[in-house]
Amino acid sequence: MAQDAETGAERGTRASLRPPSDGRVNHLSALAALHLVTIFVLVSLVFFLPRALPGDPLNALLDPEVGGTFTAEARAELEAHYQLDRPLGEQYVRYLGRMATLDFGWSISRQSPVSSLIAARLPWTLLLMGLALTFAAAISWLAGTTSAWRRGSRSDRALVAVLTLARSVPDFAIATILLIVFAVLVPVLPVAGNRTVFAQYTSIWQEAGDVTAHLILPVSALTIGLLGSKFLLVRNSVIGSLGQEYMMLARAKGLPIRVQKYRHAGRNALLPFLTLLGVQFGFAVGGSIFVEEVFTYPGMGTLILDAVDARDYPLLEAVFLVLAATVLMANFVVDLIYTWLDPGVSTGARS
Amino acid sequence: MTIVSATATASRAGSAGGIRRRLDSLTVGLAIVGLFVVVALLAPVLTTYRAFELAGRPIEPPSVEFPLGTNGVGNDIFTQLVLGTRSSLLIALLAGLGTLLVGATIGLLSGWRGGVVDVVLMRVTDIVLALPRLPLLILMGVYLGPTLLNTALVISLVFWPPSARVVRSQVLSLRGRAHLTASLGFGAGTWYSLRRHVIPEVGLILIASLIASAGRAVMLEAGLAFLGLGDPSRVSWGRILRDALDFQALFFTDAWSWWLVPPIVALSLFLLGLTLVGIGFERRANPRLSRHSEGTAR
Amino acid sequence: MTLLQVEDLTITYRSDPPVYAVDGVSFSLETGRATALIGESGSGKSTVARSLLGLVDGADIGGRIVFDGDEVQGLEAARWRDYRWGRIGLVFQSATALNPVLRIGLQLTEPLVEGDGLSAAAAEARARAVIDLVGLEADVYEQHPAELSGGRRRLALLAIALVRDPELLVLDEPTAGLDPVTRAEVLALLQRLRNDRSLLLLTHDIDALDGLVDHVGVLYRGRLIESGKVDDVLTRPRHPYTWGLLNAHPRLGNVKDLRGIRGRPPDNTEPITGCGFVERCTQAVDACRTDDVTLQPLTPDASTNGTDDGRQLACLRGGLVPVLQGRGLRKVYTTGPALNRRQVVAVDDVDVEVRHGEVLGIVGSNGAGKSTLGQLLLRLVDADSGIVEFDGGDLLSMKGDRLKAARRRLQMLFQDPYEALSPRLRVGQCVIEPLEIQGIGTAAERSAAASEALDSVRLPTTPGFLDRHTHELSGGQLQRVALARALVLDPVLLVADEPFEGLDPSEQAKMIQLLKSLQVERGMSMVLVSHDMAVTLRTADRIVVIHEGRIVEEAAGRDLLRAPQHPATRRLLAAAGAEVSSVSIPANH
Repeated sequence: MAQDAETGAERGTRASLRPPSDGRVNHLSALAALHLVTIFVLVSLVFFLPRALPGDPLNALLDPEVGGTFTAEARAELEAHYQLDRPLGEQYVRYLGRMATLDFGWSISRQSPVSSLIAARLPWTLLLMGLALTFAAAISWLAGTTSAWRRGSRSDRALVAVLTLARSVPDFAIATILLIVFAVLVPVLPVAGNRTVFAQYTSIWQEAGDVTAHLILPVSALTIGLLGSKFLLVRNSVIGSLGQEYMMLARAKGLPIRVQKYRHAGRNALLPFLTLLGVQFGFAVGGSIFVEEVFTYPGMGTLILDAVDARDYPLLEAVFLVLAATVLMANFVVDLIYTWLDPGVSTGARS
Repeated sequence: MTIVSATATASRAGSAGGIRRRLDSLTVGLAIVGLFVVVALLAPVLTTYRAFELAGRPIEPPSVEFPLGTNGVGNDIFTQLVLGTRSSLLIALLAGLGTLLVGATIGLLSGWRGGVVDVVLMRVTDIVLALPRLPLLILMGVYLGPTLLNTALVISLVFWPPSARVVRSQVLSLRGRAHLTASLGFGAGTWYSLRRHVIPEVGLILIASLIASAGRAVMLEAGLAFLGLGDPSRVSWGRILRDALDFQALFFTDAWSWWLVPPIVALSLFLLGLTLVGIGFERRANPRLSRHSEGTAR
Repeated sequence: MTLLQVEDLTITYRSDPPVYAVDGVSFSLETGRATALIGESGSGKSTVARSLLGLVDGADIGGRIVFDGDEVQGLEAARWRDYRWGRIGLVFQSATALNPVLRIGLQLTEPLVEGDGLSAAAAEARARAVIDLVGLEADVYEQHPAELSGGRRRLALLAIALVRDPELLVLDEPTAGLDPVTRAEVLALLQRLRNDRSLLLLTHDIDALDGLVDHVGVLYRGRLIESGKVDDVLTRPRHPYTWGLLNAHPRLGNVKDLRGIRGRPPDNTEPITGCGFVERCTQAVDACRTDDVTLQPLTPDASTNGTDDGRQLACLRGGLVPVLQGRGLRKVYTTGPALNRRQVVAVDDVDVEVRHGEVLGIVGSNGAGKSTLGQLLLRLVDADSGIVEFDGGDLLSMKGDRLKAARRRLQMLFQDPYEALSPRLRVGQCVIEPLEIQGIGTAAERSAAASEALDSVRLPTTPGFLDRHTHELSGGQLQRVALARALVLDPVLLVADEPFEGLDPSEQAKMIQLLKSLQVERGMSMVLVSHDMAVTLRTADRIVVIHEGRIVEEAAGRDLLRAPQHPATRRLLAAAGAEVSSVSIPANH
């Protein structure tokens, strides 16, 4: 969600919690271990939570609004399927085994393997998130640096005001506003799906073009949601840099403004920016759920919501785990880049 | 005076105008939030119908009787909006306090005790931070059931890391201070020190954190309701949006303008108010930050 | 030829209140020469340094800066790029001038690539060459600032400034905060660099200047108050501030203790009227507050022996002024039985001078004539010939009111306090006595003045104490009462004749400290007459050695210690425990 800039800044302190004597390799293995532990914890959590709740787990499969009970055969089938007749420990072990082989089971509502459903949807969500994160990063970087450079000017103040306001508007509201605008007021862009329904394409370029057109609104909505906190972070970091002595030296050296701005002031803002980027993966996942819902985009978000609607637990849990794993992997990559870039963390500052 | 102190003098002068601005953001924020509180309290007076009462014909445009018209099944939208204020405030309060409680406790423990406790708790924080929170919310919401209370509970259990972090760093910096060491020298125990010295100093930060958490909670609850995962017995702004978007013929009429827009405006305005209050408190607790983000000096 | 010419540079920061950082500074630098500007914080050094590269923002700048014939003051940024770094380099003081996230190599090649248009390869080659030149290891190129120690960061800053081989190198405190080894490296490097370019150092590290720069200027409160050849200024300072600054500077080889400058450091938010140093100056007169004081060439006088060319001074009184000057003093005692009268020449044709704010030590063995000289200077005995110039006249021929007024400003502290203080009087009465004699103030005022004097020598001011008889006090206390009595008239010169003689060592130490602090606080000059070389070396600025009635040697303490010329001096040093060789070493700086 848009509001969590503080989290990003604090995440930057994560590196400082590590003992300074770690070498780079130690540092990275510690990170990798942490992420693996997290995944393991999640996987176990997903297993135990529904079983830990009181009542007949199978009843949870029933939609409370509709009511009803199982027939004896249906119950027997489900029990066999879920192996509820076996002891808990054995169920757990089998479960872990399945997870390790990425066998996510069978979707009750869709009547197909969960893995294939996920495989069909995941790329679209990644495409959406990837584009939005990239655009948000690029725009916020350029705008933040420029705004900091010109701080106090009218354009700077206007940008700050607008983006603070944008942070207060929730992702789904932004998406909805865009929907309103482009569905009713200026109907130039497609507002639903990822391609035109029943379209026949003559070439791959035409298909690509159609998909792109459909992507514009969802990506824009998600980008705007991610923009606000990033922009403010970049701006504040760069402002912090500007007061430093090395900016005066850069100026004294006769370096062009462009170099002073982006290389000297900007680079210092890069590390906190990266940490925020890492944190935003989690938010982008959440945001994409909203955006996909509003624009009926066939990705993991709509999949998870359908699963909730249909009380399709295997599907629901699998989607959750895949999303969590994606975010954790992305965070790991960001941590890798951070370690590589940060001159202080692994080698340790010498006085 | 050296160059450095001359510049400092200059920027002190520049932020004099900033002081005025800082007061403004706090007062404006409080005014906005106050407005919503008043509306929530006066709800019975302001509304003539009940939330899910079939008061009129579906999709009726705004009139004297229905200031914001009716929705797809005939409920008065205005009533829903006003009652939705209550839900938002409730979740803000419950989840905000809950998050603060969990986060502050962990932060205090972690910062005060240090050592193994600190390391373990911080790792736990790292793990929770790394999770994709909305899907986790959804999942746990499904398991536990979608009441407002449950939602508040789940939010508290998932969103506490930022508060914990902030509190921890404050405690750490306080711990080093001489007057704490002095009172320890007099034989003060942990509880006394925490109560007498740490908590009052950390107070401002706690309030700022509370406000941030509250805002987050409102956004999350609205989001969940928007996705159809909210409390079915309650009306909330997110739900109004959901109902609107579910209505197939929404964009074929003008209905979107009185059905879809008001909840968005209400939500954004309320969150803006909270944000402004949060900024105001943050600046009070940390004046250095304001000098950076104001446009001053060179 | 003149490389840099600064004329009447005035920089006022537009803050609230405004900061008058630089006020009418003018100096010039020839090609191939090295100059230093000395000053403490608030003197305007850093501002001057930055103004030479056009880096001063938020200020009104007046005056001219001419670099190699081009007027650079007031240029816009685009034009400044022609000079910055390529022709004028600046070595920043603080290591925070190094960008922490960029490698040193990049910070070196940047100006080459952007400014000289070098290719990446050529820039790298040059950067590595400069790293080598400043004495850093080759792998510094790949490192980040955080990986270097403080000293090496300073060298990196030097390298960055040199990378485009500028004609003029400006260094802002190049040795500040460095450990001795690195400091020596930096200074050696600067010596080497001197050969190829002009240097301008801004520093308060006075020791570093020896042998490195030709010319030095002293900044105080944004103004140049003295300038001249470095040897001249540092060994024979003329301005009271320069003199005070050198006294306060810990230097290896100095035996005398540090002394501060009284008063507080300047407040640059007030514009200056008259002389900027007037509040702290020990020889200020009324005109110093009101009249315009500018840097003027010094008229060489007898004391300079014509070596002071190029010296400039901004002092209305023409520099350090003598408070008392004895010339041709001579005193002969007649002793012995009536039939065998002998003439003992106690003081034989002595010239001696005491300057404002200084401590002059007169040392000699017993019977050498030092006490007599001290008394002569205050006209406590009559001289047979000679004059003592004081306050515009000859003390020895003053009469009446004029004499009385002069006496008030000259006081003596005697060797034996038991003798010096009347046993009949009580403490309070003793201290008040001078005021009564001079007829100053009412009874209440005198009483208050006495209390203040007693307080300043750290004695109690209770009525009980004031009432005590002198014979009830210890030697140390008594000497302090005597001192209080001497101070109560607020004299401008105090002659102390063997004041520590009768005291225990611990009391002696306290007395020395007390005298010193009072001397600085009150801006009082002091003549310390003693046979103890050790004490005198610690306390005096200048020492004259008296032997058989004549001044045989005169020097600053450390020179005396290092290379005593006269046998009498050597005997005195040996008696104090110093190891003195019998070979005379020519004194040099």
